[in-house]
Amino acid sequence: MTMSGRVLHAQLHLLDRQLIDQADGRLLGKVDDVELDLDRDPPVVSALFSGRERIPAEQIAEIDTAVKIVYQGLDLEHHDDWTERNIIDKIPGAGDATE
Amino acid sequence: MKKLLAVTLGILTAIGGFVDIGDLVTNALVGARFGMRMAWVVVVGVIGICLYAEMSGRVVALSGRPVFDLIRERLGRRTGLVTLVASFLVTLLTLIAEIGGVALAFELASGVNYLLWMPLVALAVWLVIWRVKFSRLEQMFGLLGLLLIVFAVALFKLGPDWGQLVHQVTNPHPVGPESWATYAYYAIALFGAAMTPYEVFFFSSGGVEEKWSRRDLVTARTNVFVGFPLGGLLSLAIAGCAAVLFLPAGIQVGTLGQVTLPVAVAFGKIGLAIVLIGVFAATFGAALETVLSCGYTIAQYRGWQWGKFVRPREASRFHVIMIVCLAIAVLTLLTAVDPVKVTEYSVVFAAMALPLTYLPILIVANDPDYVGRHTNGRVLNFFGLIYLGLLVVASVAAIPLMIVTRAGQ
Repeated sequence: MTMSGRVLHAQLHLLDRQLIDQADGRLLGKVDDVELDLDRDPPVVSALFSGRERIPAEQIAEIDTAVKIVYQGLDLEHHDDWTERNIIDKIPGAGDATE
Repeated sequence: MKKLLAVTLGILTAIGGFVDIGDLVTNALVGARFGMRMAWVVVVGVIGICLYAEMSGRVVALSGRPVFDLIRERLGRRTGLVTLVASFLVTLLTLIAEIGGVALAFELASGVNYLLWMPLVALAVWLVIWRVKFSRLEQMFGLLGLLLIVFAVALFKLGPDWGQLVHQVTNPHPVGPESWATYAYYAIALFGAAMTPYEVFFFSSGGVEEKWSRRDLVTARTNVFVGFPLGGLLSLAIAGCAAVLFLPAGIQVGTLGQVTLPVAVAFGKIGLAIVLIGVFAATFGAALETVLSCGYTIAQYRGWQWGKFVRPREASRFHVIMIVCLAIAVLTLLTAVDPVKVTEYSVVFAAMALPLTYLPILIVANDPDYVGRHTNGRVLNFFGLIYLGLLVVASVAAIPLMIVTRAGQ
């Protein structure tokens, strides 16, 4: 398996890794599954899955101890946004930095 | 000066994490029943936590990945989930014990029943988590917790027969009515109290909160090698005080009041005031660390945004976990369960969860992908493996010993 020529071990280097927004370092979930394009030889990674969300390989920016992605056209923070709207934002000070 | 402040992270983790309600109660209890015959367990525990905290500090400084991130990465989703459930429940149990401990300290100071204090304590813990900056809370409770040194001073003031104490240290076996089974049971409890899993969760996540990088490697190591041995010395002083005051009289320790009594005997009311502030700081600090660790473990396993370095609304699930945990703690304590008993059980259950927590740290500290050329040397791996063996033995023996000794009776 290659990514810009790099050979990776899918289970060791991709599965269960932290997903990070390349732009601002936000934590976006874990890599739950990997989609392979088996028509190519050797097979290449065509997408990552986090929950039900499919992250196309083109949006992978960097694979290190975490996987940095370009966070566009994806909704990985659905549950966090729901919790924010319905619970956390109702408590005073939710948007303030700590002192 | 900046370096000096950074070391307070280590001191807080040592006082609030090494000396928390678990160590206060277990050391006093063991001191009253076995004297200093279990001092070696504290030494073994301190070396163990130093070894593994250094590894997790190094991994976090070089890769930015805290411990629970690695647990799922290395153990996979299923085994990772088992580890999550075990260590989360142990940490929650510890949180319950710490909140009870803070409330008991207030009861001792005011005479008002701890059940009335307890909801206020939980609310105060939440407010601090919600509003106060990470670095500030760690400095505040770290420095205040240092008052527990009064146990060491009290030991000298009580004027013990030092020869007798040394004799106990060098004769590590049960005497009188105690059996080998109760001796082993309390050795495991003491070991579990020293190596409680939440210490590495908090320590490594704290490294991320403090934005450690390669340059902070020295800070991370100083924190470990200054902080934890200091905590170990305090533990020994607490056990020593109980050994001097309670062992000859054949009195067993079962309340927080008894834990602090030696200081009151040595220094009167002022001593009692100092030790109660120290106990408050250590248990309140540990309550903060355990509730944060409850949030850290779940959020890091799932990959959710966590941490106090972002505003609460940006890590909303992380904050909800902590609120729910505090609510569970309050409801549990409202059943009037004895917080001291909860503490005794929490350290034994901690011992059971240890191997799964520490194995991934040992693996990753050997992985150049994470730590570059700073992988473990042979000596470090040798001791790391020996401790892993010890952790497995303690973990396997905990439940049978609990049954055989009827929880140490």
